[in-house]
Amino acid sequence: MTTIIDGTAGVTFPAGGVGNTASAVVGLTDTQTLTNKTLTSPTISLLSSASATALTLQSAGTNGVIIDTSQNLQFNSGYGSVATAYGCRAWVNFNGTGTVAIRASGNVSSITDNGTGDYTVNFTTALSDANYVASANASRLNDRNTFGNIGYQSTYAGNRTTTILRVYSMTTDGFTLTDTDMFDVIVIR
Amino acid sequence: MNKRIIYPTDDGGVAIIIPSDCGLTIEQIAAKDVPTGKPYKIVDIADIPSDRTFRNAWEYQE
Repeated sequence: MTTIIDGTAGVTFPAGGVGNTASAVVGLTDTQTLTNKTLTSPTISLLSSASATALTLQSAGTNGVIIDTSQNLQFNSGYGSVATAYGCRAWVNFNGTGTVAIRASGNVSSITDNGTGDYTVNFTTALSDANYVASANASRLNDRNTFGNIGYQSTYAGNRTTTILRVYSMTTDGFTLTDTDMFDVIVIR
Repeated sequence: MNKRIIYPTDDGGVAIIIPSDCGLTIEQIAAKDVPTGKPYKIVDIADIPSDRTFRNAWEYQE
């Protein structure tokens, strides 16, 4: 039997829903277990009440992913327990020799070739502040040992801002700027 | 993207912007990543020398 409810005013659904059928209406305060259900264009949100805790996804009865009430994403994924994950907010892999080119990147709109071994990473979306952690790695090229260096000078803080990060490729035996063909930069915040 | 953006540096050299495939146009990247107040040009990638032996001697020409 199908019952059609026309209108919303004055309609009260009992906790537990109206029956336990595939098309049952779920009560607003009830807890239901969905099995073999497909959500079409779903929006999953927590109740904005004081009792709201976290969005938790379990696998084999163990918490796998949690978004807590402070909007922190936590996951296990082999770590051993569910813990807050800290995001890589920008990354880029580029060739700094010959025709300088970006191989792949995330949240990087461009790099600027300032000169030999001197590059600026430009972020697509600005970071929330400049207190991020950055790491740069320059590969060894033509039997010449090199390393990546994060640019920061207290007298020129413009090397590291919410929108750009200047990086250098240097030789290990004299600290002179040199081009490198494999330069990696990551920014974590 | 087979385009590059060039602009003069404060020390008389030239900076070259290499765009990524971030979804922005070359014009949008120029507006965002060229330092404020600097003149710039959008050029073909073939216009940039691949021999960087004397990279620090390159100059920006109006």
